[in-house]
Amino acid sequence: MASEITRDELRVRAVRAGLELSEDELDQLLPGVKRAYNQADDLRKLVTNADEPAAVFAPARSKRE
Amino acid sequence: MTTSELCYLTITEAAAGLRAKRFSPVELTKACLERIESIDGKLHSFITVTGALALEQARQAEQALYSGKDRGPLHGIPIALKDLYATKGIRTTCHSAVLENWIPDHDATATATLAEAGTILLGKLGMHEFAFGGPSVDAPFPAVRNPWNIAHVTGGSSSGSGAALAAGLCYGALGSDTGGSIRNPAAHCSIVGIKPTYGRVSRHGVVPLSWSLDHAGPMARSVEDCAIMLQALAGYDARDPASAHARVPDFRSALKDGIKGLRIGLPRANWFDENLGVAPETYSVFNDALKTLMALGAEVIELDGKPFSLARKANQTILIAEAYAYHEKTYQSTPEKFGSTVRRRMLEGAFLSAADYITAQRARAALNERMLANFARVEVILTPTVARPPDAFDSLDPNEQNLRPSFTNPFNLTGLPAISVPCGFTGSNLPVGLQIVAPAFEETTCFRTAYAYEQATEWHRRNPAL
Repeated sequence: MASEITRDELRVRAVRAGLELSEDELDQLLPGVKRAYNQADDLRKLVTNADEPAAVFAPARSKRE
Repeated sequence: MTTSELCYLTITEAAAGLRAKRFSPVELTKACLERIESIDGKLHSFITVTGALALEQARQAEQALYSGKDRGPLHGIPIALKDLYATKGIRTTCHSAVLENWIPDHDATATATLAEAGTILLGKLGMHEFAFGGPSVDAPFPAVRNPWNIAHVTGGSSSGSGAALAAGLCYGALGSDTGGSIRNPAAHCSIVGIKPTYGRVSRHGVVPLSWSLDHAGPMARSVEDCAIMLQALAGYDARDPASAHARVPDFRSALKDGIKGLRIGLPRANWFDENLGVAPETYSVFNDALKTLMALGAEVIELDGKPFSLARKANQTILIAEAYAYHEKTYQSTPEKFGSTVRRRMLEGAFLSAADYITAQRARAALNERMLANFARVEVILTPTVARPPDAFDSLDPNEQNLRPSFTNPFNLTGLPAISVPCGFTGSNLPVGLQIVAPAFEETTCFRTAYAYEQATEWHRRNPAL
């Protein structure tokens, strides 16, 4: 389960994301990251293969039209 | 009329007074500037006061109005902008050290539109840093305090907009709303704020928090004033990729039509009682508001609140992922410039995967369908705006906030129009707001319902003792 992420795993993922975080910062972040992963897991249970993302790209639309 | 009475007029009343020459735009502007000078030191609602510009604009408005060049109900009305709306030549900070000295070379579309309507710009308003997290204790500008009790927060992120209106420092303001940032401070400060339908008001020139959830919108001291402001702001803008080609109705046309027979949806089950639920005093005030609406002829229909509850998870996942994507480069080069609150929240987004984000956007589509299906049975959806009264600064607990239902998040996810109107006070004299949600592009229904409630009650006539 992603929600079981440990501080050590968070440190590894931080480096992979290009972040230099102190041990204090990792401690402060851990509960929020766990919550974020739990939320993402809950959302996975909701969607079916029929659900496309809400974001749509409109190829004909220009910001300078 | 005393200075205080002058400053607490609604836009509608001020516009009538200007045309009857009971006072002039210069007098309105001077009254606001004097009041800002005398009381904003304890509220910190303004980051920048543009006094000289405001007086010059007021003189021009006066000349124009008196020579018959009337631009409409906002002409000569002093307003202020949340400090994430770009203002050409005027510092725009987002309440952050990152942009502490940024002077844009362009106006946001909304900035330009309100100027075109003849408003007078008093200045730029404090906010939560980058519209994210909570009040910023380590930002270069002090956190905004609640005029009803300065030991308490205003709610956010449009904190300065809520405080300045409640304190009578301006007649209208702009906020922005990604998870509740117009409606929360409106509720906590006892003013009115509407998050219009996604795409209704241009976000061009508004510093983003989360592109797919950000909404721009007005805040004011009455429902009619919000309708007047939205009338000026609404419309298609090619510079905003999310801008909608939607007809703009007369938002005041149905204000006085009443709500007899209106079907109100109440998504209480599986939502209002999740985790810590709604604070008892807030719930009691909300139930009184419900009784008032029923006495006005509305019918209440219970709805399943589960999809609304789940919507928060999708909203937060999308929000933190998009926010981190926007700030990533700046954060990696100058992390020390971000305040601790925004840094912690934003960094959560750095750890999400692409699949997490896309799953949230898929869940958004699925939940949207389930929430929209309710409008086959009801015309509006009703909730308290915020599940509890504003916190005291010294007992702020962001973790507890996460344990209360968020009544605002789902309507950023769905993009539906949602208004907050004052609906009472707790025993400690802290304001409570009522949220009314309508189908997409039916802001007129929000306004009609909110107006009927407002006119049947006295809450909007109360002002804080300052």
